[in-house]
Amino acid sequence: MEMQHLSLSIGGMGIRKCAAALFLFAVGACNESEVPAEQRVVGGDPERGRTIIDTVECGVCHIIPGVAGAHGIVGPSLEKFGHRQLVGGVAPNHPAILTRWVKDAPEIAPNTGMPSLPLTEDEARHVAAYLYTLR
Amino acid sequence: MSDTTWQGGMADTREQKEAAPVQFPSPVPRPEGELDELKRIWRAPRGIHILSAVNNTYVGLWYVGAALMFFVLAGILATIMRTQLAQPEMRLVGHELYNQLFTMHGTIMMFLFAVPMVEAFGVFLLPNMQAARDLPFPRLSAYAFWAYFIGGTAFFTSLFFGLAPNGGWFMYPPLTSYEFSPGINADFWLLGIGFIEISAIAGAIEIIVGVLKTRAPGQSLDKLPVYSWAMLIFALMIVFAFPAVILATLLLELERAFHWPFFIAERGGDPLLWQHLFWFFGHPEVYVIFLPAAGMVSMMVPTMAQTPLAGYRLVVLAIIGTGFLSFGLWVHHMFTTGLPQVSLGFFSAASMAVAIPSGIQVFAWISTIASGKLQMRTPTYFLLGFLFIFTLGGLTGVMVAMVPFDWQAHDTHFIVAHLHYVLIGGMVFPIFAAFYYWAPTASTRPLSERLGKWSFWFMFIGVNVTFFPLHIVGLMGMPRRNYTYLAEMGWGPINLIATIGAYMIAIGVLIFLIDLAKNFRPFQGDAGNVWNAGTLEWLPSGNYQTRSIPIVTSREPLWDQPNLARDVEAGRYYLPNAPTGGRETIITSPIDARPQYVLQMPGPSWPTVLAAVFTAAFFLGVTVKLYIPAFTCGVFAVVMVIWWMWDTDPGPSSPSVDIGGGLHLPTYVTGPMSHSYWAMIVLELVAGTTFACLLFSYFFLWTVNPEMWPQAGGLPSLGWPAASAVLYIVGSAAMFIGGRSLARVPERSAWPMRLLALLAIPTFVGAVTLEIFGQLSTGLRPSESGYGAVVYTISAWQGFFAAVLVIMVLYTIARSLSGRLNGVRRATYDNTQLLWQYATVQGLIGLIVVHAFPRLLG
Amino acid sequence: MWRLISIHYAERVMVHRAVLGLIAFVMLSGCNTQQSAFHPGGPHADRVETLSWVMFIGGGLIFLLVIVLTAIAMFVAPERRQWMTNRRFIIWLGIVFPVVTLTALLVYGFTVARHLVTPGSPALRIEVVGEMWWWRVHYLDAQGTQRLVSANEIRIPTGRPIEFVLKAEDVIHSFWVPSLAGKLDMIPGRTNVYRFAADRPGIYRGQCAEYCGDQHALMAFYVVAMEPNDFEAWYAAQAQPAAEPVVTQLIQGKELFLQNGCGACHVVRGTRANGILGPDLTHVGSRLSIAAGTYPTNVGTLAGWISSSQHLKPGNLMPSFGNLQGEELRAIAAYLESLK
Repeated sequence: MEMQHLSLSIGGMGIRKCAAALFLFAVGACNESEVPAEQRVVGGDPERGRTIIDTVECGVCHIIPGVAGAHGIVGPSLEKFGHRQLVGGVAPNHPAILTRWVKDAPEIAPNTGMPSLPLTEDEARHVAAYLYTLR
Repeated sequence: MSDTTWQGGMADTREQKEAAPVQFPSPVPRPEGELDELKRIWRAPRGIHILSAVNNTYVGLWYVGAALMFFVLAGILATIMRTQLAQPEMRLVGHELYNQLFTMHGTIMMFLFAVPMVEAFGVFLLPNMQAARDLPFPRLSAYAFWAYFIGGTAFFTSLFFGLAPNGGWFMYPPLTSYEFSPGINADFWLLGIGFIEISAIAGAIEIIVGVLKTRAPGQSLDKLPVYSWAMLIFALMIVFAFPAVILATLLLELERAFHWPFFIAERGGDPLLWQHLFWFFGHPEVYVIFLPAAGMVSMMVPTMAQTPLAGYRLVVLAIIGTGFLSFGLWVHHMFTTGLPQVSLGFFSAASMAVAIPSGIQVFAWISTIASGKLQMRTPTYFLLGFLFIFTLGGLTGVMVAMVPFDWQAHDTHFIVAHLHYVLIGGMVFPIFAAFYYWAPTASTRPLSERLGKWSFWFMFIGVNVTFFPLHIVGLMGMPRRNYTYLAEMGWGPINLIATIGAYMIAIGVLIFLIDLAKNFRPFQGDAGNVWNAGTLEWLPSGNYQTRSIPIVTSREPLWDQPNLARDVEAGRYYLPNAPTGGRETIITSPIDARPQYVLQMPGPSWPTVLAAVFTAAFFLGVTVKLYIPAFTCGVFAVVMVIWWMWDTDPGPSSPSVDIGGGLHLPTYVTGPMSHSYWAMIVLELVAGTTFACLLFSYFFLWTVNPEMWPQAGGLPSLGWPAASAVLYIVGSAAMFIGGRSLARVPERSAWPMRLLALLAIPTFVGAVTLEIFGQLSTGLRPSESGYGAVVYTISAWQGFFAAVLVIMVLYTIARSLSGRLNGVRRATYDNTQLLWQYATVQGLIGLIVVHAFPRLLG
Repeated sequence: MWRLISIHYAERVMVHRAVLGLIAFVMLSGCNTQQSAFHPGGPHADRVETLSWVMFIGGGLIFLLVIVLTAIAMFVAPERRQWMTNRRFIIWLGIVFPVVTLTALLVYGFTVARHLVTPGSPALRIEVVGEMWWWRVHYLDAQGTQRLVSANEIRIPTGRPIEFVLKAEDVIHSFWVPSLAGKLDMIPGRTNVYRFAADRPGIYRGQCAEYCGDQHALMAFYVVAMEPNDFEAWYAAQAQPAAEPVVTQLIQGKELFLQNGCGACHVVRGTRANGILGPDLTHVGSRLSIAAGTYPTNVGTLAGWISSSQHLKPGNLMPSFGNLQGEELRAIAAYLESLK
């Protein structure tokens, strides 16, 4: 899990995190896997998604690799989210559903504790795109 | 011993420079077997018994080694912390561990590394530099070492049980009091500090008496090595600074254990009382660490430049000046507590003034370098690194002495950077220079020049890479002691750089340790005067130090007396033998180092080691609240101390001995000339300063909460203190008369002395008890208010003296009964009486303050 | 945030960057925050910043002098460094030089300090109480009576000095807004008074500077400086009781808030929630942060905090409310978020 985290950092997060990764002697195989075609989010930019996740502080409730301080325990961990079959345990993990979910989870699962978040459609796409990079 | 003989001796040596043939005190060739005899007497015990060794060549090196171990351990803690801070919101360690880590790092570095390290070097080097055979109280050194080593190790292991203190190294209450730190973590801190208080005070006594009384004949104050000067001031500063922290820790433990509210505002205490006491100790502490290191620098720079120190007198004055000034700046740690502007101004000015003596030393070293030719060897690298880092630390020190700037910088990483520049620059680099410089006096092989330079570059670059950026991040708003920080603060990159630097330092230290493992071979002899140094520690030496004790006529005897090493080794100087048949050294007068008597010194001792073990066990037991085993160990500790003391104070082995050059010295002296008298006076200075701090606490709490102080009617009636005072005086008179009657023993019976001393016990105990009952009679309870707490603490302090004096008097009587005490051999009685009279005065002052001050208020 | 920094400041940095390139470089790379003594937002911090640069440059020059002299002592031919070997060299550089420079600095420092402690009559008095690990904020009137209660956020009008009355509830804390002024401790049993002003509107972050236990690192707050008119409007709005919810989910949220005992520790004016142990939540939705400057206020962070406060900030007094249904949690969070 730590390895995954660090390899991602090297892929997506610039010199700072790379240096941190090197610094921690976490030298290992970087199995940087491509996001498969069916999980591509149209118009979604993973890097902007990460920034949004950071700003909205999704990490208060979720563990999210690559986001500083994201160690929440309220909702499920989002590690390896790209391999997750269901979103929120109720709906298939497809870009269209995930984009709706991150914006307005209660619409899909009325019992969920995850609130509707004040994200625009585009922002939701970015967030979804980032989550699919977690493999 | 007479003045005229000694003057003759001096004349001889002065002539020797001008005219041959030279006259030496002892004729050569020396008798067959004399050197073997010296070796036998000073030989360290074999096998497991080596642990009972007390000789400074052993204890000093162990002491240095233990301090180095704590340096490495605290350094490991630091690298863990720096790793946690490498990135924002890292989760390597949680807040609980992190808070313990920085508390332990600070505490260990200050109390278990820095102070013991400089003290350890003193124990090892001073007898060498002064050509004494050993320090005057070898067993005290051994006790101090073992108490420190065992206690410190136990203290460190608290980290593995999650019980390490977590209140920061200055432990501000109320955070560290029972309400907000209910666990025993804070008690562990008080425990750790307790040990270092004991060993620091013991070391200070040893060093003061050692520097003043055990010097080479002729090594008068103006020829004293700067290092000895620095150690003398260092030890005096301990005597006057440590009492404040001794008292502070005592008060905090009383508050934690019995809820006596010294620092609890709503019950008439004040959190700032702690800060005043702590920093009255804490600021001189910085110079306690720095001065010995500066003294070392003043020894090493001249050698490395092959020329005498420029401005010797100025440097000595600067050291003394630093000592004085450092007691006037403690408030600069409290600029943000909201004190009045006027007092801030005063302390700001004083804090800046202390830069001047440091400036004098820096420019004296530069001037020395300019006078000679600097040899670029490993110690030189560390010395130049010291100059670089320490100067930067000094400059940021001036900055934080500016009150408005300090309001921004205080308690941020700017301070973290500043204090590490000062302490690493001012102490760690000189110590590493000292390792490389003095290793040849302790090891058969010098350390490696190549590894040393590698170590230097890693450490030097590492320190700057770590700490320079922290200045900036501090002013960018990063407070110290934060286990994490948010990514959006933008402190990440700087912290990452600092962390990389920390690993470089670690690599540098590792290289040094490898060098030690490869090349350091102690206890087998020395590598000789590899730097061509001029001072006495470079004479050929063994466990007995030098073969004979030279006459010193200059500051760099080895440069000025070219054949000195050969002549000393041939036994041509004083005391080439062991005339009393045991360990001995020459006691000299404090100003002009005139030989006064030959001190017979004790040898290896198990009880000393066991006393330290039981002392450690006692404190540990109390900390973890195992009271019965703890007090059992406490009793054993006292028994061991008595056992160890029993064969000291040997009495005169013969009326006088010949140490050479026609000088006949007594082998036993009591009274103001004796080393034990001086030691007792120093101990009383410690006690008196502690008591003064207690009185300060009384008056300070009054200024904060005058309404807590009773009206005259609320005090015990005057009969109580009057009766108490009468008892004190009666006891004191009994001890005095007993001392007079002792002078006539053995012509008369010793029983009057014994009975008088026995009578004195109940008077003293009674005086203390009466005072306590008097206070109880008014319904005052110590846990009720700050006033009550401090009043009962004054009695408790006196009660502690009662306990000590009871033991001492019984010990004195026992010695008399066993024939070890008489009119001549009376040092034991004299010391008991000295402490008794002191305690009487202290008790009377306490009564006056407690009973007269509130009445004066009306 | 670089854009927020005034031209005045930028110019100054340009000047000094030449001298102390490294400092400036590292500083600028981290300039996206308003919690920095290098980003003064008021006269107090401004003066100290000037003083700092005077000392950095002066100190830098003195340091350079020492290094150059050492180099001369080591490398210049012996006959040309003769002047360094006599006593006068030590006396001039070791005594005379520091006495003169330090005296000058001291006088300058006193002048700065005098300006700092007397900045004129205050526009407003605000009592701030440090608690483990958050800030209780009381707006006081002339008589010292509390007029408005808030937490972890202090709004002030620009241009006039504000008097901060600093107290501590439990242990020692230290009140520090680097961009506006240096720090002053909050000490149990004592009251410290501090006056400073913000020159222009902005958001300035402050943080506890005295180690105060487990969560010292997460004890921050915001100072929001507003144009006086905006401030008046804000103040009037804050003086109102909490808005009565009209949307079903929010009505439900309010009910759940009260049912779950939140009111035992929190005040929401206009409801029966009147506990005083924790922060006043009457207008919590209008504040920039929750958990004392740790998270931005939004419905997600509120829900996460309610559900796992002990995980996010272990040791704080608020229990984690893990007993709530998902919908209930959302409703309470939404209600709190609506308290603008």
